[in-house]
Amino acid sequence: MSKLRDFNLRDWGASHWAGWDRPRRVIFVLAVIALVALLPFAGNFSFTNILNTPISSYADVLVYPIGMFVLMSLGLNIVVGKSGMLDLGYVAFFAIGAYTMGVLGIHTHLNTWEILPIGMALAMVAGVILGVPSLRLRGDYLAIVTLGFGEIVRLIALNTMKIGGPNGLSNIPNPPPIFGLNFDLTNPKAFFWLIFVMIMLTIWMIRRLSVRRPGRAWEAIRQDEDAAELMGVPTLKYKIWSFVLGAAIGGAAGVVYAAKTLYISPDAFTFNISVLILSCIVFGGIGNIWGVIVGGVFLAYLPERIRFISDARQLIFGLTMLIIMNFRPDGLLPRKKREKMVHSNQKSAVKHG
Amino acid sequence: MAERILEIKNLTKNFGGVTALNKLDLHVNEKEILALIGPNGAGKTTVFNMITGVYQPTEGEILFKGGSIVGKKRFEITQAGIARTFQNIRLWGDMTALENVITATDVHSRAGLVGSLFGSSRSRKTEKASKTKAHEILEFIGIQEHEDRLAKNLPYGVQRRLEIARAMGTGAKLLLLDEPAAGFNPAEKVALAETIKKIRDGGYTILLIEHDMSLIMGISDRVAVLDFGVKIADDLPNKVQNDPKVIEAYLGVPSDAS
Repeated sequence: MSKLRDFNLRDWGASHWAGWDRPRRVIFVLAVIALVALLPFAGNFSFTNILNTPISSYADVLVYPIGMFVLMSLGLNIVVGKSGMLDLGYVAFFAIGAYTMGVLGIHTHLNTWEILPIGMALAMVAGVILGVPSLRLRGDYLAIVTLGFGEIVRLIALNTMKIGGPNGLSNIPNPPPIFGLNFDLTNPKAFFWLIFVMIMLTIWMIRRLSVRRPGRAWEAIRQDEDAAELMGVPTLKYKIWSFVLGAAIGGAAGVVYAAKTLYISPDAFTFNISVLILSCIVFGGIGNIWGVIVGGVFLAYLPERIRFISDARQLIFGLTMLIIMNFRPDGLLPRKKREKMVHSNQKSAVKHG
Repeated sequence: MAERILEIKNLTKNFGGVTALNKLDLHVNEKEILALIGPNGAGKTTVFNMITGVYQPTEGEILFKGGSIVGKKRFEITQAGIARTFQNIRLWGDMTALENVITATDVHSRAGLVGSLFGSSRSRKTEKASKTKAHEILEFIGIQEHEDRLAKNLPYGVQRRLEIARAMGTGAKLLLLDEPAAGFNPAEKVALAETIKKIRDGGYTILLIEHDMSLIMGISDRVAVLDFGVKIADDLPNKVQNDPKVIEAYLGVPSDAS
């Protein structure tokens, strides 16, 4: 049992990766990208039929919830995993992105690609507005404030008749085609590829920042905020940055969501979504990109796959969470634990130090 | 007369009805080792907390290189050139020793977030410079062989030294060391004393809280004694050692004399 608990797939992967030369890494990454890009076709063969989801089509499920959840988990992970702030209102940024797409898409001639940066910018502004006063709080207090923020955004949408009120917005236009790729209801593949590109950009951004000054500042804040401040880290500034980057990704996900479903209403942006996204992070491995992705895929796919048992699927969902969190409290793929290979001989002696 | 790098005037701190520090006047000369001693609860760490901006003084003035630092934010004080260590070690445990120091060297990094993201030449240069500087400091302190290990897994003595290295990493020239030898055995104390002297000779000024008398007498240029928030002595080490008021504060008044 303890073997299961201690096994760290991330370290296992990292040590293999470290042993590879550049061409080998490039080939590996390209192969993975190609495989993921082919995922929408994976349900087409008789032996892969098991992948297919009842009710909504497999290719649709890949876009929402799987792709969306992974993207949003990565965004929220910057806030929760990297800088250690518990944000329970992440759905607000998703909603802001979606409503930006809805309102501008219906009432102006702007298309999705033009609205995307606007939606992200508005989400970022909302991040600053929420962040500047509330990021002086810590832990549970911050969690409560963000939870309130998520609900406020939903309630504003619910009560503002100009943006549809409880009826929401319908007839949101699809994105215009790019590179001959049509984005419409019958072509979920295109949306999947779009989200896949967004996910890759997000991974690139996080990996890049992680090994540089902002990543170190976040890490220091997460581990000991007072020590960070006393060692010269402008903590408020970096906390706001992490909030704003997370918001931008949530906003981007919202824009694409609205452009895909063509109809949005306040019901789609409940507290549930915030909790689900947070669950993906905790389940997969808080702070570790690959863990978060695995968590997002699994927790988004599982309820869809077992939808035929209707309400009992919530039970299965909860049970799965319980079992995994019991055996792997740090998530499926926990964040970096081990020191560099040179010291692996000392590892057993100091592991629990 | 040596230049005064830090000057504390009339510094008072009340916590509710308790006066932790009462009208303290203290100065630190450039490149000296000043020891701040006193019985437990005398207010030594309170002084550190006010210099570094953790507490705001109830009254009084703190001048660093001639300018007031009262009311400045904590990270601004560090940027201005004062860094500290902690009585209870507060390293970032899940970072390696090297990362701990690099994070501190970032204080003067001019790499912004956007620059870091797109790898601007300025950010790449500062990243490189930070790493080089961190290596140098770890070597100077003598713990470079531990640089790749997580801070939480380091031996206790190395952690204490790493705290000093991290404070030096901020580029501060005034270091506040809060009981750096706590929990050390005699041999480790001797080694630490050598290191502290070496740091001073490297151009740093050191304000030190310590309880170990032999260490203090061995390295300090001057000793200030606090008792119940009041400074009762401030002189050369051997003079302080024989000061009746200091002996009284530490050992109490002989019963026949009272």
